[in-house]
Amino acid sequence: MNIDEIFDFTSFTIDREPHIVLDPQVCVGCDNRGCTNSCPARCYTWSEEEQKMTFVHDGCLECGTCYIVCHRNAFTRWRYPRGGFGVAYRMT
Amino acid sequence: MSKQYQAIVVGAGPAGSSAALTMARAGLDVALVERGTFPGEKNMFGGILHRMTSIEEVLPEFWHNAPLERHIAKKGTTFMTGEASFHVQHETVNFDRAPYNGYTVFRPRFDSWLADEAIKAGATLITRATVDDLVHKNGRIAGVSILGRTGQIEAPVVIAADGVLSFTAKKAGLRQPKFDAGQMAVGVKALIDMPREMIDDRFGLVRDQGFANEFVGCTGGVRGGGFLYTNYDSLSIGLVFHLGSLRTSGKTPYDLLNAFMEQPQVAKLVRGGRLQEYSAHVIPEGGYKMIPELVGNGILVAGDAAALCNATGVNLEGINLASHSGILAGRTVIEAHERNDFSAKTLRRYKERLDLSWVMQDLKGFRNAPGMLHIDRIYNEYPELVCSMMEHIYRIDGTPKTSIPKLILREVKEKVGLKNAISDALTAWRAL
Repeated sequence: MNIDEIFDFTSFTIDREPHIVLDPQVCVGCDNRGCTNSCPARCYTWSEEEQKMTFVHDGCLECGTCYIVCHRNAFTRWRYPRGGFGVAYRMT
Repeated sequence: MSKQYQAIVVGAGPAGSSAALTMARAGLDVALVERGTFPGEKNMFGGILHRMTSIEEVLPEFWHNAPLERHIAKKGTTFMTGEASFHVQHETVNFDRAPYNGYTVFRPRFDSWLADEAIKAGATLITRATVDDLVHKNGRIAGVSILGRTGQIEAPVVIAADGVLSFTAKKAGLRQPKFDAGQMAVGVKALIDMPREMIDDRFGLVRDQGFANEFVGCTGGVRGGGFLYTNYDSLSIGLVFHLGSLRTSGKTPYDLLNAFMEQPQVAKLVRGGRLQEYSAHVIPEGGYKMIPELVGNGILVAGDAAALCNATGVNLEGINLASHSGILAGRTVIEAHERNDFSAKTLRRYKERLDLSWVMQDLKGFRNAPGMLHIDRIYNEYPELVCSMMEHIYRIDGTPKTSIPKLILREVKEKVGLKNAISDALTAWRAL
Protein backbone atom coordinates (compact mmCIF):
# COMPACT_ATOMS: atom_id res chain seq x y z
CA MET A 1 0.00 0.00 0.00
CA ASN A 2 1.36 3.36 -1.02
CA ILE A 3 0.00 6.21 1.09
CA ASP A 4 0.60 8.62 -1.80
CA GLU A 5 -2.15 6.79 -3.66
CA ILE A 6 -4.74 7.16 -0.90
CA PHE A 7 -7.23 8.75 -3.31
CA ASP A 8 -7.19 5.56 -5.39
CA PHE A 9 -8.64 3.44 -2.62
CA THR A 10 -10.46 5.73 -0.20
CA SER A 11 -13.23 8.11 -1.36
CA PHE A 12 -13.46 11.76 -0.36
CA THR A 13 -15.82 14.63 -1.05
CA ILE A 14 -13.42 17.49 -0.57
CA ASP A 15 -14.68 20.74 0.91
CA ARG A 16 -12.94 23.89 -0.27
CA GLU A 17 -12.84 25.19 3.27
CA PRO A 18 -10.50 23.17 5.53
CA HIS A 19 -12.02 21.72 8.71
CA ILE A 20 -8.64 21.86 10.44
CA VAL A 21 -6.55 25.03 10.53
CA LEU A 22 -3.27 25.40 12.36
CA ASP A 23 -1.02 28.22 13.35
CA PRO A 24 2.24 27.13 11.68
CA GLN A 25 4.23 29.42 13.97
CA VAL A 26 3.41 27.12 16.88
CA CYS A 27 4.82 24.16 14.90
CA VAL A 28 8.13 25.95 14.38
CA GLY A 29 8.68 25.92 18.12
CA CYS A 30 7.53 22.31 18.59
CA ASP A 31 10.08 19.84 19.94
CA ASN A 32 8.17 16.79 18.84
CA ARG A 33 5.98 17.22 15.71
CA GLY A 34 4.38 13.86 16.41
CA CYS A 35 1.65 14.74 13.92
CA THR A 36 4.01 14.25 10.96
CA ASN A 37 4.62 10.57 11.67
CA SER A 38 1.41 9.71 13.55
CA CYS A 39 -1.15 10.93 11.00
CA PRO A 40 -2.31 7.78 9.18
CA ALA A 41 -2.95 9.78 6.00
CA ARG A 42 0.28 11.80 6.03
CA CYS A 43 -1.53 15.13 6.00
CA TYR A 44 1.28 16.89 7.88
CA THR A 45 4.72 17.50 6.41
CA TRP A 46 7.53 19.40 8.04
CA SER A 47 10.14 21.03 5.84
CA GLU A 48 13.44 21.27 7.69
CA GLU A 49 14.78 23.54 4.95
CA GLU A 50 11.98 26.07 5.12
CA GLN A 51 11.26 25.43 8.81
CA LYS A 52 7.62 25.15 7.84
CA MET A 53 4.71 22.85 8.63
CA THR A 54 2.29 22.14 5.81
CA PHE A 55 -1.12 20.61 6.39
CA VAL A 56 -3.36 19.43 3.56
CA HIS A 57 -6.90 18.44 4.55
CA ASP A 58 -7.85 16.73 1.27
CA GLY A 59 -7.00 13.16 2.30
CA CYS A 60 -7.88 13.55 5.99
CA LEU A 61 -9.50 10.39 7.38
CA GLU A 62 -11.05 12.39 10.26
CA CYS A 63 -9.53 9.88 12.66
CA GLY A 64 -8.62 12.34 15.43
CA THR A 65 -4.94 11.41 15.79
CA CYS A 66 -3.54 14.94 15.29
CA TYR A 67 -6.07 16.38 17.73
CA ILE A 68 -4.60 14.09 20.40
CA VAL A 69 -0.88 14.03 19.61
CA CYS A 70 -0.52 17.80 19.20
CA HIS A 71 0.59 18.92 22.65
CA ARG A 72 1.18 22.52 21.64
CA ASN A 73 -2.43 23.34 20.75
CA ALA A 74 -1.42 24.46 17.29
CA PHE A 75 -5.00 24.29 16.03
CA THR A 76 -6.94 27.47 15.55
CA ARG A 77 -9.74 25.24 14.26
CA TRP A 78 -10.33 21.52 14.67
CA ARG A 79 -13.78 20.36 13.78
CA TYR A 80 -15.34 17.76 11.54
CA PRO A 81 -16.12 18.74 7.95
CA ARG A 82 -19.49 20.22 7.08
CA GLY A 83 -22.19 17.61 6.66
CA GLY A 84 -21.74 15.61 3.47
CA PHE A 85 -18.04 16.46 3.05
CA GLY A 86 -14.85 14.63 3.92
CA VAL A 87 -14.01 10.94 3.91
CA ALA A 88 -16.70 8.54 2.66
CA TYR A 89 -16.11 4.92 3.54
CA ARG A 90 -17.84 2.39 1.33
CA MET A 91 -17.09 -0.92 3.03
CA THR A 92 -14.58 -0.86 5.83
CA MET B 1 -35.88 27.55 10.70
CA SER B 2 -36.12 25.62 13.92
CA LYS B 3 -37.78 22.34 14.53
CA GLN B 4 -38.83 21.01 17.91
CA TYR B 5 -38.29 17.39 18.98
CA GLN B 6 -38.57 15.61 22.31
CA ALA B 7 -34.97 14.41 22.16
CA ILE B 8 -31.91 14.89 19.97
CA VAL B 9 -29.30 12.20 19.44
CA VAL B 10 -25.98 13.44 18.05
CA GLY B 11 -24.40 10.70 15.94
CA ALA B 12 -26.06 7.76 14.18
CA GLY B 13 -23.52 5.15 15.20
CA PRO B 14 -24.30 2.10 17.35
CA ALA B 15 -24.82 4.14 20.54
CA GLY B 16 -26.92 6.85 18.90
CA SER B 17 -29.13 4.58 16.82
CA SER B 18 -29.71 2.27 19.81
CA ALA B 19 -30.76 5.28 21.89
CA ALA B 20 -33.00 6.65 19.11
CA LEU B 21 -34.60 3.24 18.57
CA THR B 22 -35.33 2.87 22.30
CA MET B 23 -36.89 6.33 22.60
CA ALA B 24 -38.84 6.19 19.32
CA ARG B 25 -40.39 2.88 20.33
CA ALA B 26 -41.66 4.55 23.49
CA GLY B 27 -43.37 7.14 21.31
CA LEU B 28 -40.92 10.02 21.68
CA ASP B 29 -40.32 12.34 18.76
CA VAL B 30 -36.59 11.87 18.21
CA ALA B 31 -34.09 13.59 15.89
CA LEU B 32 -31.10 11.39 15.01
CA VAL B 33 -28.45 13.77 13.67
CA GLU B 34 -25.60 12.39 11.53
CA ARG B 35 -22.79 14.27 9.80
CA GLY B 36 -22.25 11.66 7.07
CA THR B 37 -24.37 11.43 3.94
CA PHE B 38 -25.65 8.18 5.49
CA PRO B 39 -25.06 6.49 8.88
CA GLY B 40 -21.77 4.59 8.99
CA GLU B 41 -20.13 6.59 6.21
CA LYS B 42 -17.56 7.99 8.66
CA ASN B 43 -17.16 4.88 10.75
CA MET B 44 -14.52 2.20 10.83
CA PHE B 45 -13.43 -0.20 13.54
CA GLY B 46 -11.02 -3.01 14.36
CA GLY B 47 -13.42 -5.46 12.95
CA ILE B 48 -15.55 -7.50 15.37
CA LEU B 49 -19.13 -6.90 16.31
CA HIS B 50 -19.17 -8.86 19.55
CA ARG B 51 -22.37 -10.47 20.73
CA MET B 52 -24.98 -7.78 21.35
CA THR B 53 -27.28 -9.07 24.07
CA SER B 54 -29.07 -5.74 24.36
CA ILE B 55 -29.82 -5.61 20.62
CA GLU B 56 -31.02 -9.23 20.83
CA GLU B 57 -33.63 -7.99 23.32
CA VAL B 58 -34.92 -5.10 21.21
CA LEU B 59 -34.49 -6.82 17.86
CA PRO B 60 -34.86 -10.57 18.51
CA GLU B 61 -32.79 -12.77 16.22
CA PHE B 62 -31.47 -9.69 14.47
CA TRP B 63 -28.84 -11.84 12.74
CA HIS B 64 -31.49 -12.98 10.24
CA ASN B 65 -32.03 -9.40 9.02
CA ALA B 66 -28.87 -7.41 9.77
CA PRO B 67 -26.22 -7.03 7.05
CA LEU B 68 -23.60 -9.14 8.84
CA GLU B 69 -20.58 -10.84 7.36
CA ARG B 70 -19.21 -14.08 8.88
CA HIS B 71 -19.79 -15.17 12.47
CA ILE B 72 -16.60 -15.69 14.47
CA ALA B 73 -16.22 -19.40 15.07
CA LYS B 74 -12.44 -19.41 15.37
CA LYS B 75 -10.14 -17.08 17.28
CA GLY B 76 -6.38 -16.99 17.23
CA THR B 77 -3.49 -15.12 18.80
CA THR B 78 -0.08 -14.86 17.19
CA PHE B 79 3.14 -13.78 18.88
CA MET B 80 5.51 -12.72 16.17
CA THR B 81 8.86 -11.23 15.27
CA GLY B 82 10.17 -10.18 11.87
CA GLU B 83 10.94 -13.80 10.97
CA ALA B 84 9.04 -16.08 13.30
CA SER B 85 5.63 -16.57 14.80
CA PHE B 86 3.94 -18.67 17.47
CA HIS B 87 0.24 -19.13 17.08
CA VAL B 88 -2.50 -20.37 19.42
CA GLN B 89 -6.05 -20.90 18.31
CA HIS B 90 -9.40 -21.68 19.82
CA GLU B 91 -12.45 -23.09 18.09
CA THR B 92 -15.70 -24.48 19.43
CA VAL B 93 -19.04 -25.57 17.98
CA ASN B 94 -20.63 -23.36 20.67
CA PHE B 95 -19.53 -20.31 18.73
CA ASP B 96 -20.80 -21.85 15.51
CA ARG B 97 -24.50 -21.57 16.32
CA ALA B 98 -26.95 -18.81 17.23
CA PRO B 99 -26.84 -16.66 19.25
CA TYR B 100 -23.40 -16.18 17.73
CA ASN B 101 -20.54 -14.84 19.82
CA GLY B 102 -19.56 -12.19 17.29
CA TYR B 103 -19.46 -11.20 13.64
CA THR B 104 -17.43 -9.29 11.16
CA VAL B 105 -19.39 -6.42 9.61
CA PHE B 106 -18.91 -3.45 7.31
CA ARG B 107 -19.76 -0.34 9.26
CA PRO B 108 -21.38 1.63 6.41
CA ARG B 109 -23.84 -1.23 6.00
CA PHE B 110 -24.35 -2.23 9.62
CA ASP B 111 -24.70 1.29 11.00
CA SER B 112 -27.18 2.16 8.22
CA TRP B 113 -29.24 -0.89 9.10
CA LEU B 114 -29.38 -0.03 12.80
CA ALA B 115 -30.33 3.59 12.02
CA ASP B 116 -33.05 2.24 9.68
CA GLU B 117 -34.49 0.29 12.60
CA ALA B 118 -34.68 3.56 14.56
CA ILE B 119 -36.41 5.24 11.58
CA LYS B 120 -38.89 2.35 11.33
CA ALA B 121 -39.71 2.95 15.00
CA GLY B 122 -40.47 6.59 14.18
CA ALA B 123 -37.19 8.48 14.67
CA THR B 124 -36.27 11.25 12.21
CA LEU B 125 -32.82 10.81 10.68
CA ILE B 126 -31.12 14.05 9.65
CA THR B 127 -28.00 13.36 7.60
CA ARG B 128 -25.25 15.70 6.29
CA ALA B 129 -25.58 17.57 9.58
CA THR B 130 -22.43 18.27 11.61
CA VAL B 131 -23.45 19.53 15.03
CA ASP B 132 -21.67 22.80 15.67
CA ASP B 133 -22.81 23.75 19.15
CA LEU B 134 -25.30 23.24 21.91
CA VAL B 135 -28.10 25.78 22.09
CA HIS B 136 -29.04 27.10 25.54
CA LYS B 137 -32.23 28.83 26.61
CA ASN B 138 -32.84 30.16 30.11
CA GLY B 139 -29.68 28.44 31.30
CA ARG B 140 -30.74 25.03 30.02
CA ILE B 141 -29.80 22.96 26.99
CA ALA B 142 -32.48 23.57 24.38
CA GLY B 143 -31.05 21.94 21.25
CA VAL B 144 -28.17 21.97 18.78
CA SER B 145 -27.01 24.13 15.90
CA ILE B 146 -25.71 22.67 12.63
CA LEU B 147 -22.50 23.76 10.92
CA GLY B 148 -23.22 25.78 7.79
CA ARG B 149 -26.97 25.81 8.30
CA THR B 150 -29.17 28.49 9.75
CA GLY B 151 -31.68 27.62 12.42
CA GLN B 152 -31.43 24.90 14.96
CA ILE B 153 -32.86 21.62 16.07
CA GLU B 154 -34.59 21.97 19.42
CA ALA B 155 -35.27 19.53 22.23
CA PRO B 156 -35.11 19.64 26.02
CA VAL B 157 -32.55 16.82 26.09
CA VAL B 158 -29.54 15.78 24.01
CA ILE B 159 -27.72 12.44 23.90
CA ALA B 160 -24.10 12.93 22.83
CA ALA B 161 -23.20 9.83 20.83
CA ASP B 162 -20.81 11.65 18.52
CA GLY B 163 -17.83 9.37 18.93
CA VAL B 164 -14.48 9.35 20.63
CA LEU B 165 -13.68 13.07 20.35
CA SER B 166 -17.24 14.10 21.33
CA PHE B 167 -17.22 17.82 20.81
CA THR B 168 -20.79 17.81 22.10
CA ALA B 169 -19.65 16.48 25.50
CA LYS B 170 -16.79 18.96 25.44
CA LYS B 171 -19.13 21.88 24.80
CA ALA B 172 -21.29 20.73 27.69
CA GLY B 173 -18.17 20.71 29.87
CA LEU B 174 -18.48 16.98 30.49
CA ARG B 175 -15.23 15.73 28.99
CA GLN B 176 -11.69 16.88 29.61
CA PRO B 177 -10.68 19.67 27.22
CA LYS B 178 -7.45 17.87 26.32
CA PHE B 179 -7.02 14.13 25.91
CA ASP B 180 -4.07 12.21 27.31
CA ALA B 181 -2.26 10.52 24.39
CA GLY B 182 -1.41 7.69 26.81
CA GLN B 183 -5.11 6.81 27.00
CA MET B 184 -5.73 6.86 23.27
CA ALA B 185 -4.92 4.58 20.36
CA VAL B 186 -5.27 4.82 16.61
CA GLY B 187 -6.29 1.91 14.43
CA VAL B 188 -5.42 1.68 10.74
CA LYS B 189 -6.98 -0.90 8.48
CA ALA B 190 -6.65 -2.23 4.97
CA LEU B 191 -9.58 -3.99 3.39
CA ILE B 192 -8.24 -6.71 1.10
CA ASP B 193 -10.43 -8.18 -1.60
CA MET B 194 -10.21 -11.98 -1.83
CA PRO B 195 -12.46 -14.67 -3.34
CA ARG B 196 -14.68 -16.38 -0.81
CA GLU B 197 -13.42 -19.89 -1.62
CA MET B 198 -9.83 -18.77 -1.16
CA ILE B 199 -10.67 -17.41 2.31
CA ASP B 200 -12.52 -20.60 3.24
CA ASP B 201 -9.61 -22.81 2.15
CA ARG B 202 -6.87 -20.62 3.54
CA PHE B 203 -8.36 -20.23 7.02
CA GLY B 204 -10.17 -23.58 7.29
CA LEU B 205 -13.71 -22.25 7.25
CA VAL B 206 -17.03 -23.61 5.99
CA ARG B 207 -20.50 -22.07 5.53
CA ASP B 208 -20.60 -18.63 7.20
CA GLN B 209 -17.78 -19.33 9.64
CA GLY B 210 -15.31 -16.56 10.27
CA PHE B 211 -11.84 -16.31 11.75
CA ALA B 212 -10.45 -13.53 13.91
CA ASN B 213 -6.79 -13.25 14.78
CA GLU B 214 -4.85 -10.86 16.99
CA PHE B 215 -1.12 -10.31 16.65
CA VAL B 216 1.48 -9.16 19.16
CA GLY B 217 4.99 -8.14 18.20
CA CYS B 218 4.07 -6.73 14.80
CA THR B 219 4.23 -3.00 15.56
CA GLY B 220 7.95 -2.28 15.28
CA GLY B 221 8.27 -1.88 19.05
CA VAL B 222 5.45 0.69 19.23
CA ARG B 223 2.87 -0.26 21.88
CA GLY B 224 0.02 -1.87 20.00
CA GLY B 225 -1.06 -4.94 18.11
CA GLY B 226 -2.40 -6.29 14.88
CA PHE B 227 -5.59 -7.93 13.70
CA LEU B 228 -6.85 -9.95 10.80
CA TYR B 229 -10.53 -10.75 10.35
CA THR B 230 -12.34 -12.57 7.58
CA ASN B 231 -15.35 -11.07 5.84
CA TYR B 232 -17.24 -13.05 3.19
CA ASP B 233 -14.99 -12.09 0.33
CA SER B 234 -12.42 -9.79 1.88
CA LEU B 235 -9.96 -9.62 4.76
CA SER B 236 -9.72 -6.78 7.26
CA ILE B 237 -6.12 -6.42 8.32
CA GLY B 238 -4.71 -3.67 10.44
CA LEU B 239 -2.73 -2.37 13.36
CA VAL B 240 -3.61 -0.45 16.51
CA PHE B 241 -1.05 1.86 18.14
CA HIS B 242 -1.06 3.63 21.47
CA LEU B 243 -0.70 7.28 20.55
CA GLY B 244 1.64 8.14 23.42
CA SER B 245 4.04 5.57 22.04
CA LEU B 246 3.50 6.18 18.30
CA ARG B 247 4.04 9.93 18.68
CA THR B 248 7.58 9.55 19.97
CA SER B 249 8.54 6.54 17.83
CA GLY B 250 9.07 8.50 14.61
CA LYS B 251 7.39 5.58 12.80
CA THR B 252 4.35 5.92 10.58
CA PRO B 253 1.19 3.79 10.74
CA TYR B 254 1.23 3.01 6.99
CA ASP B 255 4.89 1.94 6.91
CA LEU B 256 4.31 -0.32 9.90
CA LEU B 257 1.16 -1.71 8.27
CA ASN B 258 3.11 -2.48 5.10
CA ALA B 259 5.88 -4.14 7.11
CA PHE B 260 3.25 -6.20 8.95
CA MET B 261 1.67 -7.37 5.70
CA GLU B 262 5.11 -8.21 4.33
CA GLN B 263 6.20 -10.32 7.33
CA PRO B 264 6.65 -13.77 5.70
CA GLN B 265 3.97 -15.57 7.71
CA VAL B 266 1.43 -12.75 7.28
CA ALA B 267 2.30 -12.25 3.59
CA LYS B 268 1.12 -15.82 2.94
CA LEU B 269 -2.27 -14.99 4.46
CA VAL B 270 -2.93 -11.92 2.35
CA ARG B 271 -1.32 -13.19 -0.86
CA GLY B 272 -3.57 -12.95 -3.91
CA GLY B 273 -5.66 -10.18 -2.33
CA ARG B 274 -6.12 -6.67 -3.62
CA LEU B 275 -6.34 -3.49 -1.53
CA GLN B 276 -9.87 -2.11 -1.60
CA GLU B 277 -10.00 0.57 1.07
CA TYR B 278 -7.79 2.14 3.71
CA SER B 279 -9.25 3.64 6.88
CA ALA B 280 -8.23 4.90 10.31
CA HIS B 281 -9.78 5.98 13.59
CA VAL B 282 -8.90 6.85 17.16
CA ILE B 283 -10.00 4.51 19.96
CA PRO B 284 -10.48 5.49 23.63
CA GLU B 285 -8.36 2.84 25.35
CA GLY B 286 -7.99 4.32 28.82
CA GLY B 287 -10.93 2.30 30.14
CA TYR B 288 -12.66 3.01 33.44
CA LYS B 289 -10.20 5.70 34.48
CA MET B 290 -10.92 7.94 31.49
CA ILE B 291 -14.72 7.89 31.56
CA PRO B 292 -15.99 11.49 31.47
CA GLU B 293 -18.95 12.94 33.35
CA LEU B 294 -21.85 10.97 31.89
CA VAL B 295 -24.68 13.42 32.54
CA GLY B 296 -25.31 17.13 32.87
CA ASN B 297 -28.44 19.22 32.85
CA GLY B 298 -30.27 18.18 29.69
CA ILE B 299 -27.46 15.97 28.35
CA LEU B 300 -26.24 12.36 28.49
CA VAL B 301 -23.10 10.86 26.94
CA ALA B 302 -22.99 7.36 25.38
CA GLY B 303 -20.69 5.04 23.44
CA ASP B 304 -17.16 6.07 22.44
CA ALA B 305 -18.05 9.63 23.46
CA ALA B 306 -18.22 8.24 27.00
CA ALA B 307 -15.02 6.20 26.43
CA LEU B 308 -16.98 2.98 26.84
CA CYS B 309 -14.41 0.77 25.21
CA ASN B 310 -12.98 -2.34 26.82
CA ALA B 311 -9.51 -2.95 25.46
CA THR B 312 -8.04 -5.65 27.65
CA GLY B 313 -5.71 -6.98 25.03
CA VAL B 314 -7.81 -10.15 24.78
CA ASN B 315 -11.01 -8.81 23.25
CA LEU B 316 -11.39 -5.29 21.93
CA GLU B 317 -15.01 -4.47 22.72
CA GLY B 318 -16.73 -1.23 21.80
CA ILE B 319 -19.92 -1.51 19.75
CA ASN B 320 -21.62 -3.81 22.24
CA LEU B 321 -20.88 -1.37 25.07
CA ALA B 322 -21.92 1.58 22.90
CA SER B 323 -25.24 0.02 21.98
CA HIS B 324 -26.03 -0.98 25.56
CA SER B 325 -25.19 2.48 26.87
CA GLY B 326 -27.37 4.02 24.14
CA ILE B 327 -30.33 1.88 25.19
CA LEU B 328 -29.84 2.83 28.87
CA ALA B 329 -29.53 6.51 27.97
CA GLY B 330 -32.72 6.23 25.89
CA ARG B 331 -34.62 4.60 28.76
CA THR B 332 -33.50 7.36 31.11
CA VAL B 333 -34.74 10.04 28.70
CA ILE B 334 -38.13 8.27 28.46
CA GLU B 335 -38.38 8.47 32.27
CA ALA B 336 -37.29 12.10 32.27
CA HIS B 337 -40.12 12.89 29.84
CA GLU B 338 -42.63 11.16 32.11
CA ARG B 339 -41.50 13.46 34.91
CA ASN B 340 -40.89 16.41 32.60
CA ASP B 341 -37.58 16.89 34.42
CA PHE B 342 -34.30 16.94 32.48
CA SER B 343 -32.04 18.03 35.30
CA ALA B 344 -28.76 16.25 35.89
CA LYS B 345 -30.29 14.87 39.08
CA THR B 346 -32.95 12.95 37.15
CA LEU B 347 -30.63 11.99 34.30
CA ARG B 348 -28.14 10.59 36.81
CA ARG B 349 -30.32 7.48 36.76
CA TYR B 350 -28.46 6.70 33.49
CA LYS B 351 -25.16 6.45 35.35
CA GLU B 352 -26.76 4.26 38.01
CA ARG B 353 -28.13 1.98 35.31
CA LEU B 354 -24.73 1.77 33.63
CA ASP B 355 -23.00 1.08 36.96
CA LEU B 356 -25.32 -1.86 37.57
CA SER B 357 -24.82 -3.26 34.06
CA TRP B 358 -22.05 -5.48 32.69
CA VAL B 359 -20.71 -2.44 30.82
CA MET B 360 -19.39 -0.65 33.90
CA GLN B 361 -18.72 -3.84 35.80
CA ASP B 362 -16.45 -5.06 33.00
CA LEU B 363 -14.71 -1.70 32.70
CA LYS B 364 -14.26 -1.51 36.46
CA GLY B 365 -13.09 -5.12 36.70
CA PHE B 366 -10.50 -4.58 33.98
CA ARG B 367 -9.58 -1.03 35.04
CA ASN B 368 -5.91 -2.02 35.40
CA ALA B 369 -5.69 -3.63 31.95
CA PRO B 370 -4.86 -0.36 30.12
CA GLY B 371 -1.95 0.10 32.54
CA MET B 372 -0.71 -3.41 31.85
CA LEU B 373 -0.72 -2.64 28.15
CA HIS B 374 1.82 0.10 28.86
CA ILE B 375 4.47 -2.51 29.57
CA ASP B 376 6.67 -1.99 26.52
CA ARG B 377 8.19 -5.48 26.80
CA ILE B 378 4.87 -6.98 25.61
CA TYR B 379 5.46 -5.60 22.12
CA ASN B 380 9.01 -6.73 21.53
CA GLU B 381 10.74 -8.79 24.17
CA TYR B 382 7.92 -11.22 25.00
CA PRO B 383 7.04 -12.16 21.41
CA GLU B 384 10.77 -12.66 20.80
CA LEU B 385 11.03 -14.76 23.93
CA VAL B 386 8.11 -16.99 22.92
CA CYS B 387 9.32 -17.45 19.35
CA SER B 388 12.93 -18.11 20.37
CA MET B 389 11.88 -20.57 23.06
CA MET B 390 9.71 -22.54 20.64
CA GLU B 391 12.50 -22.57 18.08
CA HIS B 392 14.88 -24.05 20.67
CA ILE B 393 12.32 -26.62 21.71
CA TYR B 394 11.62 -27.74 18.13
CA ARG B 395 15.16 -27.45 16.77
CA ILE B 396 17.10 -30.64 16.04
CA ASP B 397 20.73 -29.83 15.30
CA GLY B 398 22.93 -32.63 16.61
CA THR B 399 23.75 -30.93 19.90
CA PRO B 400 22.47 -32.12 23.31
CA LYS B 401 19.14 -30.58 24.27
CA THR B 402 18.63 -28.33 27.29
CA SER B 403 15.76 -29.42 29.56
CA ILE B 404 12.67 -27.31 28.93
CA PRO B 405 12.47 -25.68 32.42
CA LYS B 406 16.17 -24.78 32.17
CA LEU B 407 15.63 -23.43 28.67
CA ILE B 408 12.71 -21.28 29.79
CA LEU B 409 14.71 -19.85 32.68
CA ARG B 410 17.69 -19.10 30.45
CA GLU B 411 15.57 -17.44 27.77
CA VAL B 412 13.63 -15.36 30.30
CA LYS B 413 16.85 -14.19 31.95
CA GLU B 414 18.38 -13.36 28.61
CA LYS B 415 15.46 -11.67 26.88
CA VAL B 416 13.54 -9.96 29.68
CA GLY B 417 15.34 -10.39 32.99
CA LEU B 418 13.90 -12.45 35.83
CA LYS B 419 12.85 -9.47 37.93
CA ASN B 420 10.99 -7.84 35.05
CA ALA B 421 9.27 -11.10 34.18
CA ILE B 422 7.97 -11.56 37.73
CA SER B 423 6.83 -7.95 37.99
CA ASP B 424 5.09 -8.13 34.58
CA ALA B 425 3.39 -11.40 35.51
CA LEU B 426 2.04 -9.79 38.68
CA THR B 427 0.83 -6.74 36.76
CA ALA B 428 -0.91 -8.98 34.24
CA TRP B 429 -2.44 -11.10 36.99
CA ARG B 430 -3.90 -8.03 38.67
CA ALA B 431 -5.09 -6.54 35.39
CA LEU B 432 -6.89 -9.59 34.04
